[in-house]
Amino acid sequence: MAIITISRGSYSKGKEVAEKAAERLGYQCLSRDVILEASGLYHIPEIKLVKAIHDAPSVLERLSGGRSAYIAYYKSALTRLVKKDNIVYHGLAGHLLLKGVPHVIKVRIIADLSDRVRHEMTQEGVSEEEARSMILKDDQERRKWTMSLYGADPWDSALYDFVIHIQRFTVSNAVDFVCDAARLDQFKTTAESQQKMDDLALASQVKAALVTISVEVAVTSDYGNVLVFTGPEGRLVRKLREKIKTLSKEIQGINNIEVHPGAVVPPDAI
Amino acid sequence: MEVSILNAEMILVMAMIFLAVLLFITEWLRVDVVAILMMVTLPLLHLVTPREAFVGLSSNAVVSIIAVIIIGAGLDKTGLINKLVGPIVRVAGKSPSRIVVAISLAIAVISSFMQNIGAAALFLPAIQRISKALKISISKLLMPVGFSAILGGTITLVGSSPLILLNDLLIPFKLQPFGLFDVTPIGLGLVVSGILCFIFFGRFILPQGSQESDSAGEGINSESLELLPEIGDAYELRTPDDFTHYREPVRVEDLRRRYLVNIVATTEPPDYKLFSPPLDTIIRSGVDLLVFGRDKDVKRMAEKEEVILKEGVEVFKDDVAAHTSGTVEAVVRPRSPIEGKSLKQISLRDRFQVAPLAIYREGEIYRAEIGDLALRVGDAIVLHGTWKRLQLLQGEGSLLFTTPVDVEIMRPEKATFAALWLCVALLMILVFKIQLSVCLMTGALGMVVTRVLSIDEAYQSVDWRTVFLLAGLIPLGIATEKTGTAAWIAHSVLAAIGTVKPIILLAIIGVLTSAFTLVISNVGATVLLVPLVINMAVAANTDPRMAALVVGLAASNSFILPTHQVNAFYMGPGRYRSTDFLKAGGLISIVFIVVMIGMIYVVYGV
Repeated sequence: MAIITISRGSYSKGKEVAEKAAERLGYQCLSRDVILEASGLYHIPEIKLVKAIHDAPSVLERLSGGRSAYIAYYKSALTRLVKKDNIVYHGLAGHLLLKGVPHVIKVRIIADLSDRVRHEMTQEGVSEEEARSMILKDDQERRKWTMSLYGADPWDSALYDFVIHIQRFTVSNAVDFVCDAARLDQFKTTAESQQKMDDLALASQVKAALVTISVEVAVTSDYGNVLVFTGPEGRLVRKLREKIKTLSKEIQGINNIEVHPGAVVPPDAI
Repeated sequence: MEVSILNAEMILVMAMIFLAVLLFITEWLRVDVVAILMMVTLPLLHLVTPREAFVGLSSNAVVSIIAVIIIGAGLDKTGLINKLVGPIVRVAGKSPSRIVVAISLAIAVISSFMQNIGAAALFLPAIQRISKALKISISKLLMPVGFSAILGGTITLVGSSPLILLNDLLIPFKLQPFGLFDVTPIGLGLVVSGILCFIFFGRFILPQGSQESDSAGEGINSESLELLPEIGDAYELRTPDDFTHYREPVRVEDLRRRYLVNIVATTEPPDYKLFSPPLDTIIRSGVDLLVFGRDKDVKRMAEKEEVILKEGVEVFKDDVAAHTSGTVEAVVRPRSPIEGKSLKQISLRDRFQVAPLAIYREGEIYRAEIGDLALRVGDAIVLHGTWKRLQLLQGEGSLLFTTPVDVEIMRPEKATFAALWLCVALLMILVFKIQLSVCLMTGALGMVVTRVLSIDEAYQSVDWRTVFLLAGLIPLGIATEKTGTAAWIAHSVLAAIGTVKPIILLAIIGVLTSAFTLVISNVGATVLLVPLVINMAVAANTDPRMAALVVGLAASNSFILPTHQVNAFYMGPGRYRSTDFLKAGGLISIVFIVVMIGMIYVVYGV
C-alpha cells in the first residue's frame, strides 16, 4: 500500500528493479503510460510531449516558461494515475513531481559508469568513447532538466529515501530492499496521506486546466478547497476567474475554488 | 350644544386646521413639528389658554402611550416577543398563505397591546428571513402583515393611539368611557376580514415580484446580505469520546482549511465555554463545537472527521441567540492602520475574540485562507462574535461597520418579571378599573424596578415624535371644541347631508374619518373629529359614543396612502410604490368600513 518512484539513469537497471518489485508486490508498473495518458487527456502529440519533458529547455524556453504547460499536463496525468495507489513508477522525476506525499517511497538506482558504457556499446554498436560520451551527455541533459525546473540535482542523494548502487548489490537485492521498504509502517497509505495525494492530483489537474491562460499560476488544494495564486488584479485574473467558474463542473473533487491575486504563494503550491 | 354663527375665532381655528392639514400633506415641516407649532400658535392667538396648550403632555392618552412603549420595550428586551415568533414560523410551514395568516394573526395580537409600529419593527427581520429562506417575494408578505399590525390595533382599547385617546375625548361630554375589550369583537372582525382579503384577492392586489427580482433591485448593502448564505449558518457538533485516539491532532485551523468551517466556540470540561478559540487549539474528545459554515461543508466535516452533527444548537443556544451574538460586515476604512496587514497579523481572534468568516473584495468572496490575505481599503470582512466583542472592535476604529452592532443587551432571565408586570397592568385595567395611564405606568415602573430595563433604557425607548404629535394636536382639538367650530362644522355637515338613519350617519363618519386619517395623523383625525361627531350624533339622535367609536376605529383605516407609520416603515423593505397601496389599501379600506359598521350594528345594535 504505497507509491514507489524509481529514479534512474540510462542502463542503471532501474527499469528492471521497478518491474520486478511491482511484480512481487502486485503493484502496477508505470512509465510510458503517463505520456500516453497526458497525450490523450490534453490532446498533445506524443512526440511533442516526449521532447518537451525529456530534453532540457533552451534559454528562450526557460525565459518564456514554454515547457511549463507540458510539465503541468504530465504532472496532472501522473498524479491521476498514481493516486489509485500500489504503483511503481520509473519514469521522469517522480520524486519531484510527487513531492510531499507521505506514502511515496523515493528510490534512486545508480550503476557504475563502466557498466553503463559497456551496455551502451552492446546496445548501440558504438565505440567505448562514443558510448561514454553519449551516457555523459544524457546524464548532463537530465541534470540540466531537473535543475532548470526544480532547482534540484538528480544526483543529490538527499532527494531520495534511499539510493542503491547496482554493483555489489544485485538487481534481486535491490528488489528486496524496495519491497521491504514498501511494507514499512511509515510508508503505508493512511487516510491523511491519501488525502494529500488526492489534493496533489486535484491541484495538478486545476493547474493543467489553467496553464493555457497563464503559466505563472500556482495552485494548492486542501481537502478539495483549491486556491489559485497569481499576480496582482488585472485582465489575467478576470480570465482566470471566468475559467474557474466552469472548472468545478469539469473536475471532480473541487469543493471550493478561489483566485487569490497578489497573495504570497505557499511553498507547497504547484 | 348651542349652534353659534360663524365668527372670527372659528375662522381662525379652521385656518389653523387647514394649515395643519396642508403642512401634513406637503410635509414642509415634520408632523411632530407641525403639532408643536399648533401647541405654540394656538395660545398666542388666544384660541386656547396657555395651560390648555400644554395639557396634552399630561393627558391620560400621552402618558398611556409612553407607558405602553416602555412596557413594549421591556417585553422585547426579555425576548418574550422573539419566543412568540419562533413557534409561529414552525407552525406555518412553507405555504405562503399559511405564513401570511400565522404572522398576521400573531402581529395583530401583539399590536393589540403594544404600539403597531413596534410590532411591525419587531417582525421585519423575521419576515425578511422567511422570505429569503422560503424564496417567497417579500412584497407578498410585508403588506398583509403591516396591514394586520394596523388592524390589530383595533382589538383592544390600548392597541392604537386613537383608541387610547378615545376615552379622554369622551370626558368633556360626560359620556361613559369604553372598557379595554369593548372593541374586541369589532377589531377581530376587521383583522379576520383583512387577512381573508389577502388570501382570496392577494394575487390581484399585491405586487407579484419574484424573490430573485427582489434581490436584483437592491443596493450594494443588500446585495452583500444576499451573499451571506455563502457564509452559512451556525451548527453544533460533538466530538466522540475516542476522537483523539489513533490520529494526528486536529486543530481549529485544520478544520477551517479543510472544510471552510469556522469553529466559533468549544466547550472545555467540566463546563467552560471557550469563544473564538485560537487557531492552534487542539480539538479534544467529548467536547461540543459551535461552528459557522455552509450546510454541505459542515456535513462533509462531520462525515470525514467522524464528529456528531446535532439536530440543532443546544449547548450554545443562548450564545447564538440574536440578542447575544451575530454576524456583521466591517469594511477596512481609508488610512486604516490595518491596511496592508493580514488577518493573521492583526490577530482579531486573539485580541477581540471575533471570528472572521469571509472577505468580500471587488465583488469576489474569499472564504479560504483569508488569514493570509493582505487587507486593502474597501475590503468587507464578515465577522462573527458576541455583540460586546464586536462593539469593542468597532470602538478600536480600524474598521467601519456596515451592519449595526449596537444591539441591545437582552435579559431573557427577566422574562418572568416582564410578563408579570404586563399581567399586573392588565389586571388593574380589567378588574380594578383604574385609569389606563396609571395602570400602564405601574406596569412600566414595575419593569424598571425589577430591572427588566433600566430607567435610561425606558427613556430611550420612548418615541418623542409620537408624544409631541399627540400632545400638540390635543390643544387643536380643544380649540375646535371651545370656540364652537366643531359644533358649527357638525351642524353644517349634518345640514348638508340631511336627515339620515343612524347607521348611515355612522358610515358617513367612518368615511369622513378615513379621509381625515389619510391626510393627517390618526391621532390628529381622532382629536379633531371626536368632538365634532359627538355633536353631529347628538343632533341626529344617534348614540354619540358609537359615533366616537367609529372615529377611533376608522382612524386606523389608513391604507390607501403610505402615510401611516407602519405603511411608511414597510414601504422601503417591501419595495412598494404608492400605487400598490392604492390598489390593496383601496380594497381593505372599503372592507374596513363595511365590516366596522356591520359589526357595530351586530354588537351594539345601532
